[in-house]
Amino acid sequence: MKRLLKNIEGDRAIWAIVTILAILSFLPVYSASTNLVYVANNGTTTYHLFKHAFLLFCGFFIIYAVHKVPFRYFSGGSVLALPLVIVLLIYTLSQGTTIGGANASRWIQIPVIGIGFQTSTLAALVLMVYVARYLARNKEKVIIFKESIFQLWLPVAVTLMFILPANFSTTAIIFSMVLLICFIGGYPWKYLASVVGIGVFALTLFVLTAKAFPNAMPNRVDTWISRIENFSDKNAQEGYQVEKAKIAIASGGIKGRGPGKSVQKNFLPQSSSDFIFAIVVEEFGLIGAGTLIFFYLFLLIRILIAAKKATSIFATLLVIGVGLPIIFRAMINMAVAVNLFPVTGQTLPLISSGGTSIWMTCIAIGIILSVTANKEKTDREINDENPLNVLHETIG
Amino acid sequence: MAVTKKNILNRLNFVLLFIVVFFIAIAAQLVNIQFVEGDRYRGLSEQLTIRTDTIHANKGSVFSADGSLLATSMSQYEIRMDLVTVNGDVFEKNVKGLSKELSKMFGNSASKWETKLRRGKSKKSRYLFIARNVGYTDYVKIKKFPIFNLGVYKGGFIAEQTTVRAHPLDKVAERTIGYDDYRGAPGIEGAYRSYLTGVNGVRLKQKIAKGQWKPINDNNEKEPVNGKDIVTTIDVNIQDIAHHSLLRQLEFYKAEHGCVVVMETKTGEVKAISNLGRSKAGKYYEKRNYAVYESHEPGSAFKVMAMVVALESGKIDTSTVVDTGTGRYRMHGRYISDSKRGGYGEISAARALEVSSNIAFARLIDENFGEKPEEFINPLLKMNLNNKLGLPIKGEGAPLIPSPGHEIWSKNALPSIAYGYNLKLTPLQTLTFYNAIANNGEMVKPSFVKEIRSYDKHVQKFDKVVINPKICSEKTIGKVQEILKNVVFRGTGRSLYEENFSMAGKTGTARTEYGNYQEWVKNKKYISSFTGYFPAENPKYSCIVVIHKPDKTVGYYGADVSGPVFKDIAQKIYTSNHEINLAENKVPEFESVDKNFNKYNKLSDIELKSIPNLKGMAAMDAISILENLGLKVQVEGNGKVVEQSLSEGEKLVKGSTIFIKLV
Repeated sequence: MKRLLKNIEGDRAIWAIVTILAILSFLPVYSASTNLVYVANNGTTTYHLFKHAFLLFCGFFIIYAVHKVPFRYFSGGSVLALPLVIVLLIYTLSQGTTIGGANASRWIQIPVIGIGFQTSTLAALVLMVYVARYLARNKEKVIIFKESIFQLWLPVAVTLMFILPANFSTTAIIFSMVLLICFIGGYPWKYLASVVGIGVFALTLFVLTAKAFPNAMPNRVDTWISRIENFSDKNAQEGYQVEKAKIAIASGGIKGRGPGKSVQKNFLPQSSSDFIFAIVVEEFGLIGAGTLIFFYLFLLIRILIAAKKATSIFATLLVIGVGLPIIFRAMINMAVAVNLFPVTGQTLPLISSGGTSIWMTCIAIGIILSVTANKEKTDREINDENPLNVLHETIG
Repeated sequence: MAVTKKNILNRLNFVLLFIVVFFIAIAAQLVNIQFVEGDRYRGLSEQLTIRTDTIHANKGSVFSADGSLLATSMSQYEIRMDLVTVNGDVFEKNVKGLSKELSKMFGNSASKWETKLRRGKSKKSRYLFIARNVGYTDYVKIKKFPIFNLGVYKGGFIAEQTTVRAHPLDKVAERTIGYDDYRGAPGIEGAYRSYLTGVNGVRLKQKIAKGQWKPINDNNEKEPVNGKDIVTTIDVNIQDIAHHSLLRQLEFYKAEHGCVVVMETKTGEVKAISNLGRSKAGKYYEKRNYAVYESHEPGSAFKVMAMVVALESGKIDTSTVVDTGTGRYRMHGRYISDSKRGGYGEISAARALEVSSNIAFARLIDENFGEKPEEFINPLLKMNLNNKLGLPIKGEGAPLIPSPGHEIWSKNALPSIAYGYNLKLTPLQTLTFYNAIANNGEMVKPSFVKEIRSYDKHVQKFDKVVINPKICSEKTIGKVQEILKNVVFRGTGRSLYEENFSMAGKTGTARTEYGNYQEWVKNKKYISSFTGYFPAENPKYSCIVVIHKPDKTVGYYGADVSGPVFKDIAQKIYTSNHEINLAENKVPEFESVDKNFNKYNKLSDIELKSIPNLKGMAAMDAISILENLGLKVQVEGNGKVVEQSLSEGEKLVKGSTIFIKLV
């Protein structure tokens, strides 16, 4: 254990936050698993507990492994990974899973382990690193819009194109994150506006096509529209989830009902993932919710400090690019639970039992830790020859 | 463009601000949901997820005085079968076995059952009817039948349980035991509903999924309190006799309906009550509680009341002579007749009651009280005859004894009342009065319930209720008791007379539905009754038998129609009740016999190891002792032992022979 701790590098605070959140996650996940077991008739509670433990254990292994990788490798890695991700996305879409007649192909099965894998989460991560890399590489140049279309926006557009049919909200969130990091990375305002314009235009086109040929392309357009419409309409199906979430929150009070005593977990679909925040509030009250928000804010601050302390522009943008989405996902998840935001399938990072989304978060955390670790041994690292640099340069 | 870390961080601070504001918004919304909308959602939560379940309390049972069950709740099952859930192979393999068992239990041939099951299977019936009203023991057996023994999911066994009220005595005393359901609430079940019912418990349950509820706490929020048991005064044996005896008479006389009540004299406890009415099909069943509800003209039975009042007033005595003439007497423009052709001539008042002379009573009362009818009516009222008994059982009929001025009062009212017309009493009210005569003047209220119990613990005991501690003087009681005894001995009830046990009572043969006299003459209808008590001295029980509209071609006199039921009951109680049946030991006692017996007792009690001294012992005692010791006995002569071949103290050898000489 001591040796393991010795080998741990990077920001100890981030390590601590992640560990605490991971440990705390067992409480609501174990409690909410009764919903899966007794309502959905899926496994046993012990099974879900061990599954969560296994995912987290793997997650920590991933963090450890990733943070040992010098962050510069991620730059080139993202270029290599992007085509692979696109292939995976196409494969995912091609499965043609449907929910209520609409395309809902978001998952692929990982062979051997048998765990569902949401490819869009990996795509988001790779895309963010790719954008950070682009921005860092062009930090000295004046960006020409036409040039950036090919180098930046085309890969982004292609990636998002294959996520969109099955998952609008994730597409929108990834796109927003890309815009956000572009804004932070100094991409010109006017070009950003154009890109948003093009994006909206493309979306409209997609929606209209889908509407015109409803049978030709099974899609989720109707679902999106209804979700957005239903955000204001309390009686709709989504209203059911929101109402249950509100009941959960209201019955939590300040101290909460106590661990495992949630009632609404039995009625809230996705109570162990998408709506886990409502369960946390029901069981642990405002105190629990405050604690959770505190940890996310703390994590945000550590990410910002890491960004500040980073030795290069790429490092800064990398930390921001992979770090901010974690916080945003947390925000959106909570906002959905408290009905500030339409219902979207975002998990609560490090708390939800979200299968592989945990691992993606762990990769992101690993990358941030890698950056913070790197800072401490800058001198030695700089002198090292980067074996990937050759590849890096040729592709770039 | 030149991107520096500084402007990155500046923009980052902008994002940070946005995030913090967003988190604050989330926190604000949390607080909003909890405190502003909180009550509504918390209410919704309870409404949607908390349910109160009723835990039904067990209903109490009704027992007879000796502890036999009269009414109790028990489970009944309706058996059905889901043939879709049964696997095809399993069905094929076992359908014959199941059919056979079903045929054994419910009748019909096995092949019929098999056809039924197969048809159900091919029709994909999920709710095939098998049987209803199945008791628990049979239900347990059926559960073990082939296929059914696989259970609900694989065997398609469906059993729907209901709780039903069962009367183990079936229809006997049904109206008095009563029931408490859609048919109303007659009898004891209805009257003591609040005790029997119990209080349902409450259990809070929380919804955990659609259609699934779990109890919230370990204990029930409110434990159910089971209903109390009612111990009635009914004696099953007497009830049985009363029921069947009445039934036999009703059937024999093809009467419309009738009732019988047996009451314990000292306490007023109703030992038996039977009410039988004729159904359209001509069968008799507990139709209505006639004894309690039906007030009618008592006829001659009321002469006893009239006699008591007359004796109490001092205006007449038992020896007062009255001329009944030739059995037809005109009074106030109306003829009164006696049942005996030619009349009774001049008879005493006591004899008038014995032979039940209408003329005598009409004359005695009218002539003595005609000027001041109140002097006759008021004492009747004082004896509580115009009051309801106040029974707990629903629907007691109101008595009616008109006073002067009442709308049914007329000149003829007084003489009519004297022999039991122009007034109304229920059988139970009449019996209560006779019971008071038997009880030396103390009028006690008829009671149906002895006590209320809960798990064999007393909850409430019902003591006897005295309506009137003394209805008249002891002298009068004594005189009336004597006359009632004579009614059976030599009066209208003499056909009932029995040497072995004594009874006292009064017959009653009242006309009924005589409103249209012409009609009545064409089709005479009577109410025949017998009211009395037994034994005549120190009465234990009083009893009334009323039979309405017997077929007059078979007979209609109270003594013939109702009397036998009375006698049956008296006889049965006399022969089975030890208290009444104390026979005096007429065998003379001799000292020497006792002495011998004592010696024998002593010897047979101790374990003998050697031959005892038998001299002086009676032969039967000696032989008994010796044979019990395992010896063969040879006897000569008879009387007492004078010689024994094996002398006292000799060793006992089993199987050896002993010779005794008797003189």
